[in-house]
Amino acid sequence: MNRRVVITGVGPVSSIGTGADAFTESLKAGRSGISPITGFDPTGFPHIHAGEVDDFDPKGLLERISPQDWGRTSLFAASASRLAVTDAGIDPTELSRSAAGSCMGTTGGESQVLEALTEHALTVGFEGVDRDRMGQIPSSRLAVAANRELGLTGEALTLSTACSASNYAIGHAYDQIHTGEQDYMLAGGADSVNRWSHAGFYRLGAVAERDCRPFDKDRTGIITGEGGAVVFLESLESALGRGARIYAEVLGYGLNCDADHMTAPNKDSIVQCTRIAHGNAGIDQSDVDYICAHGTGTPANDLTEATAMTEAFDANTPPISSVKSMLGHTMGAASGFSAIATVLGMHRSFLPPTINFAMLDPDIPHIDPVPNRAREQTVNIAQVNGFAFGGNNAITIFGRYA
Amino acid sequence: MSTAIDRSKMEELKEIVVEVLEIEDDELTDTSLFIDDHEADSLRAIEILARIEKKYKVDIPQSELPKMVNLQEVYNVVAQYADWQD
Amino acid sequence: MSTQAQQTLAITGWSAVSPIGIGPDTFTESFNTGARGNTDVTEMFDDEPLPRSDAFAMPDFKAKDHLGRKGTSFLDRSTALAMVACGGALADAELVIDEDNAERVGVALGTTAGSVKSTSDYGRATFVEDKPYLVNPLIFPNAVMNCAAGQSAIRYRLKGVNATLAGGPAAMLSGLRYARTQIGLDRVETLVVGATEEFGPQTAWANEFAMRAGGGELSAGEGAAMFVVEDAARVRDQGRVPDAEVLAVEVATHVPDTESDLSPDFSASLARCIDRALTRAGITPDEVSTVASAENTMPATDRYEDSAITSTVGTAAHRIRVKQQLGEAMSASGALQLAALLAGHRSGESRDGEVSLLTAHTPDGVVGAAVLRGWRGRARASE
Repeated sequence: MNRRVVITGVGPVSSIGTGADAFTESLKAGRSGISPITGFDPTGFPHIHAGEVDDFDPKGLLERISPQDWGRTSLFAASASRLAVTDAGIDPTELSRSAAGSCMGTTGGESQVLEALTEHALTVGFEGVDRDRMGQIPSSRLAVAANRELGLTGEALTLSTACSASNYAIGHAYDQIHTGEQDYMLAGGADSVNRWSHAGFYRLGAVAERDCRPFDKDRTGIITGEGGAVVFLESLESALGRGARIYAEVLGYGLNCDADHMTAPNKDSIVQCTRIAHGNAGIDQSDVDYICAHGTGTPANDLTEATAMTEAFDANTPPISSVKSMLGHTMGAASGFSAIATVLGMHRSFLPPTINFAMLDPDIPHIDPVPNRAREQTVNIAQVNGFAFGGNNAITIFGRYA
Repeated sequence: MSTAIDRSKMEELKEIVVEVLEIEDDELTDTSLFIDDHEADSLRAIEILARIEKKYKVDIPQSELPKMVNLQEVYNVVAQYADWQD
Repeated sequence: MSTQAQQTLAITGWSAVSPIGIGPDTFTESFNTGARGNTDVTEMFDDEPLPRSDAFAMPDFKAKDHLGRKGTSFLDRSTALAMVACGGALADAELVIDEDNAERVGVALGTTAGSVKSTSDYGRATFVEDKPYLVNPLIFPNAVMNCAAGQSAIRYRLKGVNATLAGGPAAMLSGLRYARTQIGLDRVETLVVGATEEFGPQTAWANEFAMRAGGGELSAGEGAAMFVVEDAARVRDQGRVPDAEVLAVEVATHVPDTESDLSPDFSASLARCIDRALTRAGITPDEVSTVASAENTMPATDRYEDSAITSTVGTAAHRIRVKQQLGEAMSASGALQLAALLAGHRSGESRDGEVSLLTAHTPDGVVGAAVLRGWRGRARASE
């Protein structure tokens, strides 16, 4: 079986809006979701901003699972999944009877639960912590929460390949439908803001004080973020059969590994990953007319990524913007949000902007970061970049379905 | 700075550096370069700085890191901030 | 049914790092003679009390003893275990990585929540240090779940697909399924697939609470096992004898009737998985000679698993309860179940061609089964 695979539903739960319409509006307006941290006590941190989902309301979004039984990240995954299914307009009962599953990417999983228990253990020891909360730590629960919320009996797989994990998940889901192993898949990622990763990135000198400014000459780092980003995938035949709205087609993807350094990005490896993705999607590099960047806003990532894209596209790099300028770095959900932004842009003919942008880094002269304002443009083929610790590169390719 | 080098302080710093760089004592000289000779990276540099700050209770800005290319230069920077001149 | 669905994988080398031995040969001998890995762990961690004095752990395991000093002093335990197992599996398969094949070989590694001690300690440092950001940057990657797969790739120069699958006790099965897809679609040629789990105060207490709640008594474990996985047809074409062919792997999610049911009976979901796996493997129930189960002394879940097994393949097959010898090692348990099955074949030719079933389930409702056919394996056959 070699089925074509399309995205017919999106479920963003983000700091710039929950649901397709609110998220689209914010992307078009170039809205920032960055605010002072409230998810943990940031006292003592010199940089205290993050992209938190302040209005996250799992009770209002979820229909089946109980919020108190699950960690925040699982609730993001399940809520985003519920939204994606509703957005796809498929009958939930029919869906639950089908060959359907989920694949969720993450960096930290439920580590904010572990962190809270660790803090409590400082006074009472691990013996004294909440036992039920201890059972919420396994990361497998992200995908299981999505399956249980939707009553899906197929595979529930959490891929914890850090900050490119959503791209891994979308790729895996694509394979499952492409080969006929499953008929419907929910795929994306989720993460929650926490102290330990805020501290770790800050210690690496990689956290910006107030604004994330990808590709800008004065960029200073990431802003940590959170949320749930899930897309609903099915075969083209299935989507046409039920008259579904098609946001975009998944054309293929590429994965590779730097096998070089745990935290430093590797230009050659990113170039190679781009070629693998294009080859798998059956496209030429000149076909790509938009890149949704990994674009974290750190000096190292953006220089490496932009240089790699310039090389991979023979200095004819299409417009490349970073939604992290608005959302912050949502870690395992990041490429999921990028995929959602990309397919919404494809469907509604606009490019999401890179906000907070003042002046291009002179070391990356061949880049058009779509500065500050969304741009009206037809996008036929787009590429979504996701890179991670461990050298885990993942690039997905989407095509307009018309 | 013309102050004489305090060898015992130097040895303490050396102990920190070899541990963070995961090398043997005799591999590190006063002037062997962390990055070029001992495969150090920015993470290891930050950790060396962190351990020094903790041990000597000093605050050394990360902006001093580029100067700290070998043991001798580390000593000079620390001496300045920890006020080791006698 | 698609052609990819019939994709069969071959295991062409493996290794296990466990309390009863490190390396395929030591593990084989110890496991087959019934060795149990529980030992005194009271000296292992000086800063945190443990729930009990014993565990299926390796108090003497030091990364540098196996991997050398350079680049190992900041490794977390979960990563070090995986790296040793990965190197052992590559050596067992006699797979040499060079410029020509590095991009075609990758890693698919199972975990529960990464190095839980590293992540917990990192969070702890933000509370106890003078400033919350005074954390060690060198061990920041250890706190992220893909550390073991990334470090394994760096050490052995594996530049192909590199995935971390957080499936807990079902991660090994997810890894084999992932390999089937990735290799079947030619995204990668060879994957080193396995799982790792470390023993630490956090996992020990998590196991303790789970055991008390479920009425079980098994201590926590640790270990890693990795398997070199390739396309079975290619291995056959090249005239190589694998350790096993993975004939089918099925997983499913048991969705309880009500979300308030804390220990739902998953037996029907697991039985369907086993049935489907047997069907896809083209194996009849009476052909199954050995079952490696995930039973762990919790009465209810053991009963559900046993019921699924007996209702599908009957009671004639030899049952090996791997956790009795190796403890509850979460994600590593699934990998050690597979290693235990292969240990049964490696000890002699008498069992060549026999079919085994492996079952797994997670506390949150994932169930799965794999069907394998094993042999004594490559070079060993001529010994």
